[in-house]
Amino acid sequence: MKPAARWILCATLALAPATGVRADPPPLPPYQMRALPPVGARTEPGRDGRALFENHCGYCHLTFGMGTNLLIKQRLAVGASPATALLANRDDLTSAYVHAVVRMGKGAMPPQTRVDITNAELDSVAAYLARGK
Amino acid sequence: MKLTLPPRIGPRAFDTALGAFAGVVGKDWVMAGDADRDAYADVYAPGPEEQWPASAAVAPASVAEVQAVVRLANTHKVPLWPVSRGKNLGYGTAAPRMAGSVVLDLGRMNRIIDIDPKLATCVLEPGVSFFDLYEAIDREKLPLWLSVPGNAWGSVLGNAFEHGIGYTPYGLHARNLCGFEVVLPDGDVVRTGMGAMTGNHAWHLHPLSYGPTFDLAFTQSSLGVVTRAGLWLQPAPAASLELVFDIPDEDDIGWVIDTIAPLKIAGLIDQNVFVPSWLGKMVLKGQRHDFWDKPGAIPDWRVKELLAQYKLGYWQVALRFYGEETVIRARADVVRAAMARHLAAPPAEHWWHTGDSRNVIDTTMGVPSAVPLQMSDWVGGRGAHMGFSPVVPATSEHVMGQLKRSRAIIAAHDVDFYASFTIGGRFATNINMLMFDRDQPDQIANMKKLFNALIGETARAGYGEYRTHLGWMDTVMDTYDFNNHALRRLNERIKDALDPNGIIAPGKQGVWPAAFRDQAKEGRA
Repeated sequence: MKPAARWILCATLALAPATGVRADPPPLPPYQMRALPPVGARTEPGRDGRALFENHCGYCHLTFGMGTNLLIKQRLAVGASPATALLANRDDLTSAYVHAVVRMGKGAMPPQTRVDITNAELDSVAAYLARGK
Repeated sequence: MKLTLPPRIGPRAFDTALGAFAGVVGKDWVMAGDADRDAYADVYAPGPEEQWPASAAVAPASVAEVQAVVRLANTHKVPLWPVSRGKNLGYGTAAPRMAGSVVLDLGRMNRIIDIDPKLATCVLEPGVSFFDLYEAIDREKLPLWLSVPGNAWGSVLGNAFEHGIGYTPYGLHARNLCGFEVVLPDGDVVRTGMGAMTGNHAWHLHPLSYGPTFDLAFTQSSLGVVTRAGLWLQPAPAASLELVFDIPDEDDIGWVIDTIAPLKIAGLIDQNVFVPSWLGKMVLKGQRHDFWDKPGAIPDWRVKELLAQYKLGYWQVALRFYGEETVIRARADVVRAAMARHLAAPPAEHWWHTGDSRNVIDTTMGVPSAVPLQMSDWVGGRGAHMGFSPVVPATSEHVMGQLKRSRAIIAAHDVDFYASFTIGGRFATNINMLMFDRDQPDQIANMKKLFNALIGETARAGYGEYRTHLGWMDTVMDTYDFNNHALRRLNERIKDALDPNGIIAPGKQGVWPAAFRDQAKEGRA
């Protein structure tokens, strides 16, 4: 089991779903390095979506990122596996949805500027997360 | 967001200016759509985001492009609001103080120009994030550590420019800055400190200039656009020890301060010591409705129950030592003995040695994380926070006075109390986190009243804020009132001399250029 998946499993076991209150958390994982940005101009289409996702969204959406932590609770509330709090594990995302959330924001997530992530980079990230859907 | 043009600029003139900017940076990097304006708005605005609207944003990639944009801004009389990465959450995010300003987003200028592991310095552009620098150091296995703030999503330099703090020996971030390159409001470029000499080798090592030292005049400032700066880093220690003390009662903060501050001043503790109240731990355990399902502040009896249930003290002191193990052991003995005079329970102790991993959110070990922002989820909905951040002398008399004053004001407004004191040595920074749901107008109105009361009462008692949100920049500047507001008048004289068109960050920190002084009454929360 990958460290990230193992941590999410531990975190889930430490949750008390009836109240949503967390008991003592498991030992925290180490910092997860993001991928380097892929080569090429930021406005160029077709760059590596996975690397772009890690580099631009990894501030919050890797293991024990703020976004991941908040999503664990949301995923449990809808009966989904907490492992799907990591967006890379989701199989129900669509490209249009990813575009909308990134540009419009959602809950605690602010809208992202085109300096944060360019339109071409967002296309690549959305394609990666949506797996062609 | 609807388009708000800069003062006295018509639609055609505005389009002409944006076209001129695009001629410098390329059309992809002039962002003027509705979604763009939303993205540059204050996501934690206390009230409608439209109160602090950007008209557009422009993102240069080099110092030459910054110069060209600044010169064009003068030509077209279009004000710019420089941001490093625009993640100043709780203080305005990327949004400008003056409505209609064009955000000058320096996020594309994200080169790590140099890292010197021998002298423990680096040279950065403003777009470099804490994550970028941490990873660059880690990839090269360099023996250097960062000092990170609670929200490390943002820029290393931007945080230091705003006088942000961290929780390591390098925690007063503006003090780590050494040697700037700055584009002045007329487009000229100046290098401060030893960098004023072409090819000088000590630019980012010696912190003083020949003659007046201007570096910090460009922080919390509208006098120029910093395009690079040197930053001192902490040498990676061979070992580190954390002592965690749970402090049972609210009033214990007095002896905690009187115990720790002298040890810090004497050099036995070199860390910026962060002392958060219990709610700092609780916000990571759930949302407020998990613990208290009624509106209004959680009553004291329920707080006592929660502290007992979750085995928390009212405060927690997590002290960390850095360096050689033998030295750490000696220092820790002194600190343990000093704390034991007031507290029977021994601290939890956690050793770290070179080669051990550092956990993902350990801000005291310089690991960048945005997780502390989870506190915004405490109230639910579109959660947000603001920080009320006065600075007080690090003695029990002043700290207890500040605690009781802000506690009473916050209680009178029926808001949960979440305070921390960060002991910087001779002073303590008291950050009071105020969390609210942006879609609850009653909560927002209450927050505004509360914030105004805190600023006024605290200033009357003789203390000022080190930093504040856009909506209170003028209010806080008003509190610095010695000799008929001599500081503001000095700032305005310099501002008008350097920036006669007022095009760099008008209104920043309550300093208005003559060209836009008529706008000062707008945008106050």
